[in-house]
Amino acid sequence: MLRYIIKRIIILIPVVIVISLILFQISKLMPGDPIRAMLPTNMRPEVYQTAYDNMARRLGHDKSWIEQYFRWVSNIVINRDLGYSTMFNRPVIDVIGEPLRNTILLNVFVNIFYLSIALLIGIKMAIKRNSMFDNSMQVFSIVTYSIPSFFLGLSLIFIFGVHLRWVPLGGMPNRAMLGEGWPLISSWIRHLALPVVTLTIISLAGAMRYVRNAMIDALSQDYIRTARSKGLSEKVVIYSHAFRNALIPISTVIVVTIFALLIGSVVTESVFQYNGMGLLLLKAVNSRDTMTIISMNLIFAFVNVIAVLLADIIYGLVDPRIKLK
Amino acid sequence: MSKKNNTAKKVRTSFVSIFKRLFSFKRSEENLFEEEMLRTPGKIIFLNLIHNKLAIIGFVGFMSVFLFCFVGSRIFPFTPTYIELTNSSLRPSTNYLDYPAELEDKEIVKIVSGVSFSVALTNDGNLTVWGTECNRYMRGVSDLILEIPKEIQDANIVDIEAGSRFVICLDDEGNFYGWGHYGNDQTTVPDQVQMVFDFLNVKIVKMTAGTQWTAVLGDNNCLYVWGSMQARNNFLIPLALDYRIVDFAASEDNMALILDDGTVEIIGMRGTEFYDRVPVALTDGSARAVKAVSTNRNVLVLDDEGKLHIWGSSENGLNRLPEGLNNERVVHIASGYKNFVAIDEDGDVFVWGANELNQLKLPENTAGFTRVESDFFQFYGLNDDGKIVGAWGNKGYIWGSDQFGRDIFSRVMHGGLISLRVGAIVVIIAITTAILVGLTSGFFGGWIDHVLMRLTDVFESLPFLPIAVTLSFAIGHDMSPQNKMYLMMVIIGLLSWMPLARLIRAQLLLEREKDFVTAAKALGIKQRGIMFKHILPNVFNLIVVNITIIYATGLLMESILSYLGFGVQEPTPSWGNMLTSAQESVVIQFFWWRWVIPALFVVAAALSINLIGDALREAMDPKANER
Repeated sequence: MLRYIIKRIIILIPVVIVISLILFQISKLMPGDPIRAMLPTNMRPEVYQTAYDNMARRLGHDKSWIEQYFRWVSNIVINRDLGYSTMFNRPVIDVIGEPLRNTILLNVFVNIFYLSIALLIGIKMAIKRNSMFDNSMQVFSIVTYSIPSFFLGLSLIFIFGVHLRWVPLGGMPNRAMLGEGWPLISSWIRHLALPVVTLTIISLAGAMRYVRNAMIDALSQDYIRTARSKGLSEKVVIYSHAFRNALIPISTVIVVTIFALLIGSVVTESVFQYNGMGLLLLKAVNSRDTMTIISMNLIFAFVNVIAVLLADIIYGLVDPRIKLK
Repeated sequence: MSKKNNTAKKVRTSFVSIFKRLFSFKRSEENLFEEEMLRTPGKIIFLNLIHNKLAIIGFVGFMSVFLFCFVGSRIFPFTPTYIELTNSSLRPSTNYLDYPAELEDKEIVKIVSGVSFSVALTNDGNLTVWGTECNRYMRGVSDLILEIPKEIQDANIVDIEAGSRFVICLDDEGNFYGWGHYGNDQTTVPDQVQMVFDFLNVKIVKMTAGTQWTAVLGDNNCLYVWGSMQARNNFLIPLALDYRIVDFAASEDNMALILDDGTVEIIGMRGTEFYDRVPVALTDGSARAVKAVSTNRNVLVLDDEGKLHIWGSSENGLNRLPEGLNNERVVHIASGYKNFVAIDEDGDVFVWGANELNQLKLPENTAGFTRVESDFFQFYGLNDDGKIVGAWGNKGYIWGSDQFGRDIFSRVMHGGLISLRVGAIVVIIAITTAILVGLTSGFFGGWIDHVLMRLTDVFESLPFLPIAVTLSFAIGHDMSPQNKMYLMMVIIGLLSWMPLARLIRAQLLLEREKDFVTAAKALGIKQRGIMFKHILPNVFNLIVVNITIIYATGLLMESILSYLGFGVQEPTPSWGNMLTSAQESVVIQFFWWRWVIPALFVVAAALSINLIGDALREAMDPKANER
C-alpha cells in the first residue's frame, strides 16, 4: 500500500512543477508593473531610475526568469511567503486567511447536505429503476445541470430575499454589530442559507446520477443474486451488500467533488457577495492584484492535485483489488 | 427428425422472406426475429432516439432556440451601438399606443406622451391616461404614472405637458399640479417661484417638461425653470430677455426662445449645433417666428408666412426639411424626441427623423389629419373634431428594455447568435484537441502516452473558472473586444478537452486488445489503416455524446464569464453579458426582465442540448439495447 501511495505521489511531482511554471508565466503576463506601483512618483527622472533599478535588484527582477521562478518557489516552500497583496497592502497569506475559512465553512454545510440527499435519492432511484420517481429525478438532475449557478442564485435572492424577505440579499454577518452568541449565529445561518441551497442543488445533479449508476451496477452483480437466493431480506441485500460495493466508485468521486466545490463556489460567492475565496479572486482581478491572483490559482490547483491523489489512495484503500497490482 | 424438419422450415422461411423483401412493397408481415436481424447499430440508435420523448423535446427545444436566433436575426436586423437612454429599463409590454375606446366619443384638446405612456386632455377638463407604468412607487422620488391623483381628477384641467416620466398640468384657476417621478421636485412649483407668481399675479400660459425639469412661461412674458440642478444651471435666462418671451421650445441642453419682435434667441449649452446654427433670417428680423418646436437636438420654427426654418444636429437628417415640403405653406408643426411632424395646407403629413422605433411608419390613410400630437416616440393623428384617427410610433418593448433603452427582444436574438457560435467554436477546439491527444496517446503508448497523460493531469488540475478568469484578464486586458471573445473561446475550449481525451484513450486501449484488431494486424493492414478504419468508428459514439456535453458546458461558461465581465464585451450582445447588470441589486429587485429573459434562454439552450445528449448516451448504451 505504501509503495502504491509513493508511486502516485512521484507521478504527481512533474504535474505540480508544470502547473507552477504555467502560473509563473501567467504572472509575468499580468498587466501593470509591480515595481512602479511601489515607488512614489514625485522623483526626478534620474533618481527615479536608480530607485527603480535598486528595487528591481532587491526583488530579483533583473535576473533571468528561471532564477526568478526558483526564487518564487523557494519563497513559497521555505518561507511560506506567497508575495505581497497590493490591494490590501498586506502579505497574501494574511489576506487569504478569512476568506478561506468562510469558504470552508460554506462548503462543510453544502457537502453535508448534498451528500446525504444524493445518497438517499440515488439509492432510491436505483432500487426503483425506470419508475416515475426515477425518471422525474433524472429530468430534475438534467434541468439543474443546465442552469448557470448565478441564475439559480439570483432567482433564489429574488424569491426569498426580495419578495419574502426571509434572508438578506447577500453579504456577511456584521460581527461588530451583533456581538457574540445567538444573534451572530442566527445571522450566519440567514446569510449562509441561500448560498448553501444554491450550491447544494447545483452539485446534487451529478452526484445523484452517479450514486444511481453505481448502485445499479452493484445490484446487477452475481453476489446480489446469491444474497437474494440465500433468502436475505431486501434491506440487507441493498444496504449491506449492494451499497457497500457501490461505495467504492462513489467514495472516489465524493473526494473529488468535495474539493471541486471549493473552486466551483467562485460564481455563487460573487452573486451573494459572500466573502470567500471566489469573491476575493474576483476582487483581486478587478484591482489588478497579481500576487493574490496567482497565489489563489496556485492554491486551487494544489487543492485539485491533492483531491486526485486522495481519490487514488482511497480507491486503493477501499478496493482490495488495486493493492495487488 | 424434428430437428431436421425445423432446419428445413427455417431455410424455407428465410428464402420466402428474402423474396418477399425483394419483390413486395408491403412490409407488414415482418416478425420480431427478422426485424432484429436487419437493424444496423445506427438504425437502432435512431429508433431509440425517436422513441425517447425527452430527446424529441430536447431536439425541438434546441431547434426553436436556434431558429429564433438565426432566422429571427435576419428578419429583425439591429445596430448594436444604438442606445436610447430616455427609454431605459421599461417593462415588457406593447400597449403604449392602445388608447382607450371611451376617448372616441370625446373631443380631445391635447395628447402628451412620456416614454411609455400618453395622457389625453378632453374638452370637459378631464384626463385619460394609457400605456405602461414606467415608474415604481418610491417615497420622495416617484409615484405611479398610471394613477392620476384624486385632486387632479376633480380639477378642471386646461393644459397638460409630459416629461419623460412625469406629467404636469394646469387647471382653470391657474393651479399647477403634477404626478409621476418627482425626484427633483419638478412637479411642484418651488416656493420662490410661487412667491413671484403671487406677487406679480402671474398666470402660466405655456409649459414644457423635460426629463427631470419643468419650464413655464408666464403671462408677463418671463420664463421660469425648475427641477434638476443641471437644467436650472443650463437655462439661466439673461435679464435682457425677461418680459419679451412669447413662445419657447426646449431640448435637454438648449432652449429656443421666440421674442416679441419675432426673432429667436437660444439659451443653454454653448457649442451645440442647436446653439450655433440659428438661421440669419430669424435673428435679423426678416422673418417673424410664430411657433417653435424642438426635438432633442434640433429646432423647427414656423414663421408668419407659413414657412419653416430648421437647424441643429445633422443626426437622422433633422437639420433639413424633407423633399416636397420646401415650398409648401405649413399649417401645423409638432415634434417628437427625434422627429418632426409638419402638415401643409393641402393636408399632406410629413414626418422625418429617426425610425428605430417605427416613428416614420405612418398609417396608410392620413387624409383626415388636421393636427398631430406627438411627444417622445408616440404619435397621434387627430381630425377636425378632435378624434384620434391614427396612432403610430413606439408600441413598446415586448420583452422590455435594458439600462440603455435597447430592446431586449432583439438583443436576446442577436446575443444568441454570439452565444451559440461561441459554444460551437469551443466544441471544435475541445474535440480536436481531445481526439489528437486521446488517439496519439492510446495508439502509440509508451513514453508518448506517459507525457500526454501527465499533460492531461496538468490541465485537469488547473481550476477551471479561476484560471479562465485569470487568463482572460492576463492576456486579454489590452485586447480589442472582438479578440477578447476569441480568447474566451480558446480558453474554454482548452480547459474542457481532458475527460474526452481520457475516454478516447481508454476506449482505444480496450479496442486494441480485441480480436478484430489482431485479425487486421495478421492480415497485414498497416497501423494507420487499422486506426482509421477499425478503431475510430468505435470511438465515434463517445465523441458524439461528448459534443453535447462540451457544447452545453461551453454555453454555461460563456454566460458565467460574460456575467462576470470577462467574456463578450459590450455593445456586442451575448446572453452572458446581458446578465452583467444583474450584479446590481436594484436590477434584481425591480427590473426582473433584464436578467430573467436572457438567463432563460441560456437554460433553454443548455437544457435541450443536455436532453439530447442524455438520450444519445442512453440510445448508444449497448447494455440498454439488449433484449
